[in-house]
Amino acid sequence: MEYENVRGHIYDIQGYAVHDGPGIRTTVYTKGCPLRCLWCHSPESQQHRFQLGWLDLKCIGTELCQNACVNACPEGALSVAEPTKRTGTEELVRKVNIDRAKCTDCLKCAEVCVTKALYVSGWETTVDEVYDRLMKDVGFFENGGGVTVSGGEAMAQFDFTYNLLKRLKDKGIHICLDTTGFAPTAQFEKIMPYVDLYLYDLKHMDTRHHEKLTGVPNELILENARFLAAHGGALQIRFPIIPKLNDSVENLRATAEFCLELGDAVKLVQLLPYHKAGRGKYERLGWKYRLTNVELPSEDFMQQALELFQGMGLPAQIH
Amino acid sequence: MVKEDFNYPISLRVAGLKEKRKRINHDLHLDFERNRIITEYYKTHKNEYPILKRAGFLYTWLTTREINIDDDDIFLGDGGPHCRTVHFDVEQTPRNWIRGCFGDTDERFRAAWQVPGSIWVSDEDRQWILEAADYWEDNDIAATALGIFPEEFAERAKAMPGSMYGTYPGHFNPNYERAVTVGFGECRRIAQEKLAEIQAHTTFENVRSELFYKAYIKVCDGMILMSKRYAEGCRQKAAETADPARKAELLKMADSCDWIVEHPARDLWEGIQSLFFYQYLLIADGTHWADSPGLIDSFLGPLAEKDIAEGKLTRDQAQELFDAFLLHIGDQIIMFPKPSNDQLIEAHKNGKCFFDLQGGMQNIAAGSLITIGGMKADGSGGDYNIATEMILLAYLRLKVAEPSLALRINQFTPDRIWAIAIACSITSGGMPQFNNDDVVIRAMLDRGVPIEDARRYAVFGCVEPAISGKEWSMAANCGSFGAGCGPITILQYVIHGNVDPMSGRQGDLPCKKLYEYESFEELQAEFERQAKYYIDKMARTYHFAALTFATAWPVLSASMMTEGCLETGRDVTWGGATYNGMGSMFNAVATIADSLTTIKKLCFEDKTLTTKELYDALKNNWEGQELLRQRILNGLPHYGNDDDEADDMVRWFTNLWADYYNSRPGVNGGTNNCGALDLYWVWGGMGQWATPDGRKTGEALSISSDPRQDCAKNGPLAYVKSVAKMPWYKLRCGGAINVRFDANSVKGDDAIAKVRDLISAYFRFGGLQFHFTVADTKVMREAQKHPEDYQDLIVRIAGFSAYFTHMSLPDQAHYIQRLEQQF
Repeated sequence: MEYENVRGHIYDIQGYAVHDGPGIRTTVYTKGCPLRCLWCHSPESQQHRFQLGWLDLKCIGTELCQNACVNACPEGALSVAEPTKRTGTEELVRKVNIDRAKCTDCLKCAEVCVTKALYVSGWETTVDEVYDRLMKDVGFFENGGGVTVSGGEAMAQFDFTYNLLKRLKDKGIHICLDTTGFAPTAQFEKIMPYVDLYLYDLKHMDTRHHEKLTGVPNELILENARFLAAHGGALQIRFPIIPKLNDSVENLRATAEFCLELGDAVKLVQLLPYHKAGRGKYERLGWKYRLTNVELPSEDFMQQALELFQGMGLPAQIH
Repeated sequence: MVKEDFNYPISLRVAGLKEKRKRINHDLHLDFERNRIITEYYKTHKNEYPILKRAGFLYTWLTTREINIDDDDIFLGDGGPHCRTVHFDVEQTPRNWIRGCFGDTDERFRAAWQVPGSIWVSDEDRQWILEAADYWEDNDIAATALGIFPEEFAERAKAMPGSMYGTYPGHFNPNYERAVTVGFGECRRIAQEKLAEIQAHTTFENVRSELFYKAYIKVCDGMILMSKRYAEGCRQKAAETADPARKAELLKMADSCDWIVEHPARDLWEGIQSLFFYQYLLIADGTHWADSPGLIDSFLGPLAEKDIAEGKLTRDQAQELFDAFLLHIGDQIIMFPKPSNDQLIEAHKNGKCFFDLQGGMQNIAAGSLITIGGMKADGSGGDYNIATEMILLAYLRLKVAEPSLALRINQFTPDRIWAIAIACSITSGGMPQFNNDDVVIRAMLDRGVPIEDARRYAVFGCVEPAISGKEWSMAANCGSFGAGCGPITILQYVIHGNVDPMSGRQGDLPCKKLYEYESFEELQAEFERQAKYYIDKMARTYHFAALTFATAWPVLSASMMTEGCLETGRDVTWGGATYNGMGSMFNAVATIADSLTTIKKLCFEDKTLTTKELYDALKNNWEGQELLRQRILNGLPHYGNDDDEADDMVRWFTNLWADYYNSRPGVNGGTNNCGALDLYWVWGGMGQWATPDGRKTGEALSISSDPRQDCAKNGPLAYVKSVAKMPWYKLRCGGAINVRFDANSVKGDDAIAKVRDLISAYFRFGGLQFHFTVADTKVMREAQKHPEDYQDLIVRIAGFSAYFTHMSLPDQAHYIQRLEQQF
């Protein structure tokens, strides 16, 4: 088969992903993203390589496992911590400290951790493996449901994503591609026949701001949106509203105007109020969350933004 | 898409009635009136034939009971002398409870029963019941049973003096439709005719029926008189009332009460009121646990439609009647389980009431389950009407936890009913439950029920389907007394060599210990041998229980309307009903199946552990074996993840239990019907030793047929698919999947459509019943801190819902824990 050597890095497959498109969907989350959005709520998705994750509440203490993880670490990055409460109990146990400066993500500790308190963020897989797993859920996909491929940025593992979507489309599965739009136009052209709906992010219309917020300029993203719209693609625009960073009236208006320019291709504009749900994931990776000073947008503000979009004739909703 | 918000405001009058009920919860009364009447009657009519004695007691009650008409209620009366009277029946109440509560010191008795917030018991009532308890010592149902049950069961029976379960059998849905749309007058006429036929040709075979018809006619007379006594009461009340609107309303009620019961109801108010009058009779006869009024929308809907078409009611007025109906049907309270003085005193100290002690069992107190929707008997279409919708809207807007509501789903279910039902379940804590007609009807056909009747099933109790109005569906509910060995205890026997390590008690069948089996197949075969033995033993007790009732304790109130009794001249306990069933529930499916999977994988397949090592770990309650326990919890296949290896074990167990139980000879010529439901997983777990699935001694068991939430890690689709693999059509007595969503996953405009898709998929895969709750653990933690602000927070427990703040602390903690571990 043409894709038998293609391997992908993913970090989750979730059924009943109710926010990732129409109907009941199962979403594949791929690893690796060219963007570094300040508000990113899935930091584990940013790097293509696997990292060590740490879920404190699952650790039962090193006394019981006889320092299995500490002993497994070749870099001396793990050490026994001061006694703390084992989650859900009054029992004092000694968990581990991770020195992220020394950790090379060799992941040997995760291999020996029985409770999976130390875990690997993701796994390497094949198109067939993911396909077989997704097809277990096919019975749920009536009434417009299907598969969503999300990230990270799924287009960053183009061969993998392309071959997976092609296989799924052969079975008539409805496919959503959740994308930042930051990938070569030629690749979008190639994958188009296998995508029913793009969940397409727009983060800032001013390229300098865009670069500050996400690490990349926006020209290619806008260009690809125009390309998809011009070639029959269906787009569900997703616009995360981050107070003070991209919620100026000018930017709201410019975003709406851009959506209008895309014409009928835009099936829906979803305004996504900023949330802080991903913060715990940063701790698990030993990273710092950078948006500490940003508050949630008010309901009033979201409503005004919605009215602005709807007032310009766009099908919009707060999601 | 414009989303309709179904949360229309309730009327001021209904809001007032709801508030009134909250107040009454802190000022309740025990039902001594009914208990005095039955005790007096049974004392003075010792030798009267049982069914005539029953009729005599009921007639006396119907014609002498206090007629209570509250000032503001839309429907009249109650099963007792007060609104929300708490019912118990002295002839079926454990005497150690009576003596424990009322024979206590004066000081403690007063602190438990005579302070604000109590269920009020006067000094006089206290004296009386202690004496009555002495009388019933040798005269109650348990006394009859002890004279009937063989020695092998008697030991456990004696351990529960005065009671087999603490309530009558219950769990049936008599033909309310007949009571409302045909009436007792016509039934009486038929009984008269039948009686005359028999009297003309008396034989030994039909002489019992002669007595049945005499009893039947007497109760018809009593019922008609009671209704007329209410009419008189309304007229008196009207004369005393200054408010002209209420006066007119009372006079109209009086006219109706002169007509109904004897004759068919002419409008919606009359339909609902005659339904209640029949329910009062059922409650007086015996505090039947979880009787259900059947497919009420199918007979109340046409009355509502007619009233609206004729301009007698506006839509809003019809909705108000359904709202008031829902509040009042929840007024029928059965005291189960029974609180001790210690519990009551403690509760009162903290300003709590009786309901706060029910540990999530309050719903059973109300005792009803309403079924709506379904299909026509000929299969030509759905049976949904204005009442279906208005009953759903009543639940959605009133947010009451009782009684339970079941909605039947089939190809004809209208989109609008789906939408209201899902919106209702999201906002009102898991009501309704969704029932899959395809699978229930198939199960009924397997029982030998003709298709036309199979299509007319209703759900009673928590999840149990029966043929509406035609079935005596728990023909020997008290029968498990004596067998006392569920599948979890069998698992313990098989592991520990016929000993239950918690109690040290020996079982009946000597067997090997875990480390003595040569193969997993041998162990599995031993489990099967034990299971069949105990199922046989249990099924055998049902016949003795049925005989107990048939001998001296007829259930005349149910026989009045259950189809078949009037026709054949037989009480339900003598097999009068058209269909008979005897349900039995198994529990802790995941604990059992995952335990077996663990033994199979670890000790016989992977061989990473010897059976002796696992045995020792269990024996020591995992002491020093936390790593092994974690390996089992995190590394082995578990039910609930769409993993065939684990799910096959569930199928094996369910097939074994259901096939064998269903094949045993049923009571009264009916069928045995297996189901999967458990109400006591926390309490049940406290009495169970550690199990191989990683559960420690005393920890909660898995719930009914649900996977362990903390081991179901592949999300809702895998969870739903795993559960759907059970052979649900064999679980003729019901069983549901409980799905808990976090608040986030039911947000958004298309949330209702997505939930519908999920339920539909579960049903396509062969699932039987679907319950879901939307619960946010943050809200629950707040509710624990400030219960007074969260009186309306309802959560789905298993077959029923409960107010969260009324659950016991361990139950609350367990519920939150389950939620936090979800997906």
